Amino acid sequence: MIVTDQDLQYFVTTLKNVAKYDFSEYSDKSLKRRLLKVLTDLNLDLGGLITNIKQDSCFAENIVKEITVNTTELFRDPPIWHLLRSRVLPRFKNNKTINIWHAGCSTGQEVYSMMILLNEMDMLDKAKIFATDLNTDVLDASKKGVYKYRFNIGYLDNFDKVIKQNPLNFEEYNDVPYEKYFDIDKLKDTITIKKFLTEKPIFRKHDLVNDGNLFFAKFDLILCRNVIIYFNYSLQNKVFELFHANLYPKGCLLLGMHETILGPWANKFEKIGQAYVKK
Amino acid sequence: MKYTQNLNLNKQILLFTIPIVVILYAASGFSVYHLAKKRVLLSAQKEMEVYLGKMSETIQLVENQTGLGFNNSDYLVLKPFFNQNAFYKTDFPFILDNSGQYILHAYKEGQRIPSSLLQQLKTSHSKQGFISYTDYKDGNKLDMLFSYKYIDSYGTYLGISVNKSEILESLSQNKLVLIFVVLFASLVFYLTITIILKPVIQLLKEITESVKKLSKGDSPNKIDFNQNNEIGQIVESINDLIDNLKHKADFANEIGKNNLDANFKVIGDQDILGTSLLNMRQSLKLANTEEGKRKKEDDLRNWSTAGIAMFGDILRQNNNNLAKLADNVIQNLVNYLDANQGGLFIYNDEDPEYKHLELLSAFAYNRKKFFEKRIAIGEGLVGTCAVEKETIHLKEIPADYIRITSGLGEAVPTSLLIVPLKLEEAIFGAIEIASFSDFKDSEIEFVEKIGISISSTLSSVKNNIRTNQLLEQSQQQREEMAAQEEEMRQNMEEMQATQEEMARKSLEMEGMSASINEALLYCELNEDGSIINPNNNIAALMSCTRQELEGESLTEFIHSDEKGMFKGTWADVLSGSTFKSTMHWVDKNSNELYILASISPAFDEFGSIFKIYFLGQDVTESKKLEIRAHKQAEEIEQSLLEIQVEQELNLQREDEMKALLLVLDHTCLITELDPAGVITYINNKNTEVLGGDKDEIEGKLISELDFVAKNRPKEFKKFWENLSKGLKQDREFSLNIDGNEVTISEVYTPIINEHGQVTKIINIGFDISEIKRKEKEMAALIAELETLRKKK
Repeated sequence: MIVTDQDLQYFVTTLKNVAKYDFSEYSDKSLKRRLLKVLTDLNLDLGGLITNIKQDSCFAENIVKEITVNTTELFRDPPIWHLLRSRVLPRFKNNKTINIWHAGCSTGQEVYSMMILLNEMDMLDKAKIFATDLNTDVLDASKKGVYKYRFNIGYLDNFDKVIKQNPLNFEEYNDVPYEKYFDIDKLKDTITIKKFLTEKPIFRKHDLVNDGNLFFAKFDLILCRNVIIYFNYSLQNKVFELFHANLYPKGCLLLGMHETILGPWANKFEKIGQAYVKK
Repeated sequence: MKYTQNLNLNKQILLFTIPIVVILYAASGFSVYHLAKKRVLLSAQKEMEVYLGKMSETIQLVENQTGLGFNNSDYLVLKPFFNQNAFYKTDFPFILDNSGQYILHAYKEGQRIPSSLLQQLKTSHSKQGFISYTDYKDGNKLDMLFSYKYIDSYGTYLGISVNKSEILESLSQNKLVLIFVVLFASLVFYLTITIILKPVIQLLKEITESVKKLSKGDSPNKIDFNQNNEIGQIVESINDLIDNLKHKADFANEIGKNNLDANFKVIGDQDILGTSLLNMRQSLKLANTEEGKRKKEDDLRNWSTAGIAMFGDILRQNNNNLAKLADNVIQNLVNYLDANQGGLFIYNDEDPEYKHLELLSAFAYNRKKFFEKRIAIGEGLVGTCAVEKETIHLKEIPADYIRITSGLGEAVPTSLLIVPLKLEEAIFGAIEIASFSDFKDSEIEFVEKIGISISSTLSSVKNNIRTNQLLEQSQQQREEMAAQEEEMRQNMEEMQATQEEMARKSLEMEGMSASINEALLYCELNEDGSIINPNNNIAALMSCTRQELEGESLTEFIHSDEKGMFKGTWADVLSGSTFKSTMHWVDKNSNELYILASISPAFDEFGSIFKIYFLGQDVTESKKLEIRAHKQAEEIEQSLLEIQVEQELNLQREDEMKALLLVLDHTCLITELDPAGVITYINNKNTEVLGGDKDEIEGKLISELDFVAKNRPKEFKKFWENLSKGLKQDREFSLNIDGNEVTISEVYTPIINEHGQVTKIINIGFDISEIKRKEKEMAALIAELETLRKKK
């Protein structure tokens, strides 16, 4: 099966009309692959899919959930967390409050990683954590904070790398027990985030394309990692504009390991490693 | 005969014997009579012979006297002799000639004898004899006996004929006597027989009745008869028989009443019935004991079978819930056995290091007690039972039983039964039952049997549970696999998207670097400041080749004034900050150059510098211009100060203007038009004087409303053209409003911007009918206004 540009156009237009989701500025190639995957999984042709979307708003919602990608993990890309630990977060050490927005939080691992790191830096009390995603299913998963243990066993390596070790000083070793933050049940194969972490963040459904800033606040730190790769150049710039507008001066924007700001908004940020600091 | 057969014996005897006796008597009487008759007749014949002899002698004598033959003399002499009858009244002797004619007879002389007699006489050929004949005389039939003797001398027959009845007359008297004797004898016989037979027959009747009853199976009374004769013996025998039968019947009754020990003796060796009865009793006794045994066995078997069926039901009902099953089983088992306590242990080998028996359900004193108890294999009685796989039955339980790990708590029962739950040598658990009474072998056997059923159910339940677990596990694994697959796919998607994004970025970067290469001065720098990889632009600027430039130190080119300052800048760059400023260079030809440069370090992921980029733009020209402009700026600044003063003045004037305009607004008709002729503003005075609605007029074209435009279009066209060219236009017109002639003088003033374009047209009209004389003054005022606006 091949999804043509017209097919994609048809699909995106339908979704926009029916479900108010605007995928028109998403990356064509990625969206095509996701659409193809959905069609294959549901064993439908495009016509059938469109008909179902039109008839059933729940179905449309599910399709949106299917199409979005929710890859995340605890302390994903440890170098970024090192950067946060050594060069970004210390900037806010003297703030009274630290507002953090995880835009596209997926299943919440990044949110809890951030909170663990903040806690280790004694900054959690000051922090206000906001987390948003387009997909309500992953938001529910985020709120629960229960993950598969075996499948995500690499989490603990990342935890060790970020929390226990310091790449700038190999002799440093913080023996933080996992039990401080997780309940690991090998029988049930679950790793559960402790309650004091899960009850703190504010999780909301949010569409970066349409919704602007949901919260009546500006942010010291915005994390939007591995999200803009699914957007085209124009939408990326819109999102950068949104972030820029809602960052405090000297506020930080953190993108994914391989994401960079190019174009008009690049010179409105100063780059510290992977982090962009609003000028 | 048949009839007689049905008569009773008495009557039969009478019926047969009396006629026989009568006939016998009659026969003997008749024969006596007959013999007598014969004798009488014989004696009569003899007498007749004798008589005829005498007569013949007489005749002889006469003959002798008279001469030959019968002659008269004979007749006369003999006549008197023949007139006399001989013995009876009618027996007269006679003489017959050969023709049978009586020649001498007392009264029948001349008559003839019956011809039949004559016939017989002639055929007899004897000279003497007897002939019996029948004489039919006077219609009477007379039996006659004729005796004759032939007399040779005469040649005639001397005869005498006697009527037999006369001869037999004496006999008829005897006949009556005889009949009487016969009758009497018969009567005597009848009486005798009756007297003798009656009691015997009565007895026979009784005997018959008894035997009849006996034959019908009844038990008759004894017959009372005490004579020691044949009948007496029969009666005795019958009485004995009745007695015996009664006795045996009683005995049989007793047996029937199941009194097998009733007293009974056989009469003798030949008492078949008695022996049979005894044998029967023996057999019954034997059968009874057998029956008793069998019944016991049956009861046990029934108990066991019912129990097994019941437990079968229980086991079937709850075979998906192990705990409930165990509860039901142990509760029912304890109740069924009338025991007091019970526990069901299940074998748990999930943890191979600690195989143990787990108390799944306990039942004690009709109340369930739940307590998790685990007994290791081989530990205590229950553990031992599981190891040995043999039933343990303890009848003596030590007082400190509680100390023995039995798992049943504190009561000390008197009997303890532990049965392993096994199926083909595989152990599934154990049942422990305690009771205050001993367990029978059958009960133990029963529990063992139930144990097998329970084992088999446990086995299947375990299998079911295991299967379900496996099923769930595989389901879960499948779901996990699916989840993992989806996650992998998402990861893939993200990688792909990232790669695409990076490809796009790198394309962009390439374009950028290409354009940089084209437009800017570009090189990279080592940490010591030496140039690497310069582009053509920078080489051209420096009037040398790229190769010549490679390796040169950047500081070489910096103007001596700035060299000292650059050292500090370089140190900053090396510590990570970006330098951005205009540099003053001197090329090899000593030309001064101004370069707008940025020097920025690039860090690797560990934060250490791996490259320093130099980007620059030749701003020499603009720098020179800038210097020039700087001077101009100073001048401008000067004039700005002046302007400021002027502006303050303007502000003052503006205030004045505002006041003036207010006055104007109250006195003049003001209309504002845009260059296209649309009325953008009209003041209240205007509508006051000329009428119309402010809201309606605003936004309309003047050409639609204007009096001149409607009536003299050519003139209006000219008028508008002039205005559009920026020429001020005056005009006057009169209108009749509400009967009053109103003369309006209008001045249209186009407002022109710095580019010479008309941006606005202001019309100020005066009601010159009242203030015409002020017209000139106003015009002057407008002229002044215009100059003010221009200045502003």
